[in-house]
Amino acid sequence: MIELKDAVKAYKNGVKALNGVNLTIHQGEFVYIIGPTGSGKSTLIKLLDGEEIPSKGSVIVAGINVGKLKHSKVPIYRRNIGVVFQDYRLLERKTVFENIAYALEVIDAPKNIIRRRVREVMNLVGLDDKGNAFPSELSGGQQQRVAIARAIANKPKVLIADEPTGNLDPTKSDEIMVLLEKINREENTTILMVTHDEALVNKHQKRTIVLESGVIVADTFQGGYFKHD
Amino acid sequence: MINRFLRHIKEGFYGVGRHSAMSVSSASAVTITLLLISIFLVVTSNLEKITSKIENSVKISVIVSYDFEAQEDLDRIDSQIKNIAGVKLVTFSDKEMEFDFYINSFPEEERVIFEPYRSENPMHHAFYVEVNEGSMLQEIASKISAIEGVEKTNYGGESSTMLVNALATTRQGGFILVIALSLLAIYLVQNTIKLTIFARSNEIWIMRNVGAKNGYIRAPFVVEGIIIGMLGAIIPILTTIFAYIYLYNKLGGKLLSGIFVLIPPHPFVLYISCILLAVGIGVGFIGSFFSVTKYLRWKR
Ligand SMILES: Nc1ncnc2c1ncn2[C@@H]1O[C@H](COP(=O)(O)OP(=O)(O)OP(=O)(O)O)[C@@H](O)[C@H]1O
Ligand SMILES: [Mg+2]
Repeated sequence: MIELKDAVKAYKNGVKALNGVNLTIHQGEFVYIIGPTGSGKSTLIKLLDGEEIPSKGSVIVAGINVGKLKHSKVPIYRRNIGVVFQDYRLLERKTVFENIAYALEVIDAPKNIIRRRVREVMNLVGLDDKGNAFPSELSGGQQQRVAIARAIANKPKVLIADEPTGNLDPTKSDEIMVLLEKINREENTTILMVTHDEALVNKHQKRTIVLESGVIVADTFQGGYFKHD
Repeated sequence: MINRFLRHIKEGFYGVGRHSAMSVSSASAVTITLLLISIFLVVTSNLEKITSKIENSVKISVIVSYDFEAQEDLDRIDSQIKNIAGVKLVTFSDKEMEFDFYINSFPEEERVIFEPYRSENPMHHAFYVEVNEGSMLQEIASKISAIEGVEKTNYGGESSTMLVNALATTRQGGFILVIALSLLAIYLVQNTIKLTIFARSNEIWIMRNVGAKNGYIRAPFVVEGIIIGMLGAIIPILTTIFAYIYLYNKLGGKLLSGIFVLIPPHPFVLYISCILLAVGIGVGFIGSFFSVTKYLRWKR
């Protein structure tokens, strides 16, 4: 599903954020990416969603060579992936329902399908009764649920999340984790999640990739660290 | 589809409202540009009409050489002239008519002094040639000159050539001015749209992330640019209509006591208005299109 081969990312200012990353993630996996600040986690996410182009190597998602995409084809590619960030990035002028529906409107989905799918994902993220609320009327955890609902509205094959629980307290973070696990299970969505939250990683144990200075220093299943040089 | 179209239009109007001060300032840049374009169009169209009228009233006079005065030569020259493309009308004037014409240009009491010369008439046979297009005078004249038996050709080309040249210069100068002003207006529209883009960068980011195509993202901004362009066209259009009709009536449709006739306001002002509206829309479209494209390229 996701395959990076010798991926290098050097920014224009000379910073080498990623320095030869090899990584394979299969359909339906749930993977953490952890590492100290500045280790290249967000850069990895940007390579995956096509925001940045690898300086060397290749990034292949769902059979598409993301770095080679033409500018005009990037949006079409993005329909395969959902992205969630620490700041929820909702449209303040729109209601919860409209925010989620937006993801389907911009890809020209028919109205009745939009309505059905939005109700479905609102139910999935546990916000059945919040359709008419505006983002400002919701708690942080609820806003992140809306962002997740929007990200998965068009049934992407991959959901990538950059510190989705970064702004939330432990209880709320835990609830988001439970939700992501449910999405992973029920929609068979491959999930890639960047996090700083050690407690979370230890509680909901999954394959964990450790980045340091732009290289993978560990790739473990079920928690325990597995170093490779 | 209709829904989506309306949504873009609505967003476009929101954008204009959101930065009303900037919208007004770039719309006024469009206004100034269009006012100048309007003046330019009115002046050159009228000049063009005047020069073409002069050009078209000019005839080429063809002088037949003394050695080719036989009827068959005259017939041949006549048909050869008629065969030249662009020739409208050929009239023959024999040397007696030419003589009368010549002496009639003198005051009556002086004419008698020419009478003795009538028997040995020094005038030539002549053809007068009218052409379809004033601009072809020179070309046709030189073709006629090449015909065997034609001594020389004349056309009162000097004054019309000067007018044509003046017109060309005005047109070139005006054209450069209009282009420069249009570029300035495009630049200002582009900057206004940039503000809207930044105000909505969050939304654009979201659109890109949920997979909206570039065209979809671009649409509301382009609508906004077009609205600014159309707003900028209102004053120039009204000014053109009212000012031209007023001037036309005031001058009685003429310049220089009737030598030059002005183009009647109807439908002339409507054409000009349509051009102004089209340029306004074009400027707004190009400015906003550039602005969004630049932003999208930058973002990926
Ligand atoms: N757009 C950019 N231009 C230049 N350098 C950048 C850019 N984005 C990130 N960097 C640099 O690349 C390196 C990796 O950044 P990145 O954001 O991937 O780290 P991170 O692991 O996500 O860190 P954090 O945990 O703080 O979010 C850092 O040194 C950062 O300064
Ligand atoms: Mg980061």
